[in-house]
Amino acid sequence: MADQQIILDRLAEGVREMDEDLTIEASREALDKNVDALTAINHGLVVGMNQAGLLYEQEEYFVPELLLCSDAMYAGLDILSPHIQRADAEDKFKVVIGVVEGDTHDIGKNLVKLMLEVADFEIFDLGRDVPPADFVGKVKEVGADIVCLSTLMSTTMDRMVDVIELLKKEGLREKVLVMVGGGPISQAFADRIGADAYSENAVAAVTDAKRLIAPKKVAV
Amino acid sequence: MATTEVMLRVGSHWPEAHKKPRDMARLALGVCHFTGIENLGVPFCMTIEAEAMGAKVNLGSMTNEPRVTEYPLVKLEDWKLLTGINPGKGRAGIVGEAISYLAEGNSELPVIVNLTGPISLAGSLIEPMVFFKAMGKHPELVHEFLCFITDNLIVFGRSMLQAGAQIINIADPSGTGEILGPRRFAEFALPYINRILNELQGEYQASMVHICGRLQSIFTEVDQLATNAISIDSNTSISKLRSALHEKVMVGNISTYLLQNGQPDRVKEVGLNCLQKGVAVLSPACGISPATPLVNLQAMVSAVHDFDYRNREVSILG
Repeated sequence: MADQQIILDRLAEGVREMDEDLTIEASREALDKNVDALTAINHGLVVGMNQAGLLYEQEEYFVPELLLCSDAMYAGLDILSPHIQRADAEDKFKVVIGVVEGDTHDIGKNLVKLMLEVADFEIFDLGRDVPPADFVGKVKEVGADIVCLSTLMSTTMDRMVDVIELLKKEGLREKVLVMVGGGPISQAFADRIGADAYSENAVAAVTDAKRLIAPKKVAV
Repeated sequence: MATTEVMLRVGSHWPEAHKKPRDMARLALGVCHFTGIENLGVPFCMTIEAEAMGAKVNLGSMTNEPRVTEYPLVKLEDWKLLTGINPGKGRAGIVGEAISYLAEGNSELPVIVNLTGPISLAGSLIEPMVFFKAMGKHPELVHEFLCFITDNLIVFGRSMLQAGAQIINIADPSGTGEILGPRRFAEFALPYINRILNELQGEYQASMVHICGRLQSIFTEVDQLATNAISIDSNTSISKLRSALHEKVMVGNISTYLLQNGQPDRVKEVGLNCLQKGVAVLSPACGISPATPLVNLQAMVSAVHDFDYRNREVSILG
């Protein structure tokens, strides 16, 4: 088991240090030494990605670093995920995410998507420049627990209001939690438009999402 | 910047005003006429450079800005296949024509041209995720690409200045301290913005750089920008930045959200407060929404006229 911990540490290190080669090597080693694939992912790769997220929050890492960490993580996942012993498919919480209409800047959205995926949410990514009706349609279709709206541009902030209004009109507002984020967005703005949370960055978004769904978890 | 109210009053609307020189000029004049803002600013979007280099652009509507819908590059190493900006062609040429109209108009107001910053232009030519990752994996390739982009921005910037503009404003919303961090800002953003400013020096009367977001992490680097004026977002503190700057003035920074949704009295109050704290040029903190009411822009301008400059608590020079 000491061996296993060394491998798990190497997996985490590979991701945290943006080292794709190390991550790949450690992933193969994990398989060779019969480390359970799911353990290797959750206690190796995901740990590394969370450490990277922490460094990002501490402003040691910025967007390029976080993206490089994610590349290393996905390189490891490619090797490990085919070997997961599928237990019964657990019900994950569902998140619909996208950049609002009029804006095509999606780096922030992609980071949030990445960190939520790491945190075991099921993501439905609508991409960018997404009309309000598409958000609402997807929320309805998949029975989403959370919808995440992102924009970098101050000129398109109001499209978030449009989505919330449309959710109300369709009688869905009470069923889905709304999270907003992006350069020009603030807590004050989120409060004004009646969103459930404003997340300052991708790591905070995970904390917020977990906090928001906590009551639902109890209900289940 | 432009608003739908002004568009309706002058009869020149987006998206037509992005592609017809007379409409573009008329709208810029209308903004000054109806708001009292003291410069003529064109173009109204950040997609002209990318379009001239092969990106596909959706010109949007009366209420939505143009945006890039398709990148010409898939792999960064193919950057040599990109076309350079031909300043006489397409919408690049149209901006030049619009500037000529404005310059010929004998207006006393300076014409200010908005040039897209190198990192933002890069992010309009290739998927930004690919570009940002290359900063770590293939920095030399990123530098080659940014050199090429910068050469083209200099060509386009020069053409706009030669058409009659006096002031150049470089805005780089994707090249912020929050996105890049100080180390990569210093390596990939600062030198290229400075090269544009330095190579065009003597061709403009004044320059300005706008950087979105919180600047705290890159105060030192911002101070090294080769311009006298730094335009800042509403979430950067005027007083904190001032103490970090040398020989630079600040431009800004009334929240665009307030401008769109607040009351004129409040806008004026915030404007007076910005001036009190030491901004040299009062302006919106970032791109304003076209839905911004005219009365609020007028209120912003009235703050400039009604402020008692003798009472300024600090020097405006950082």
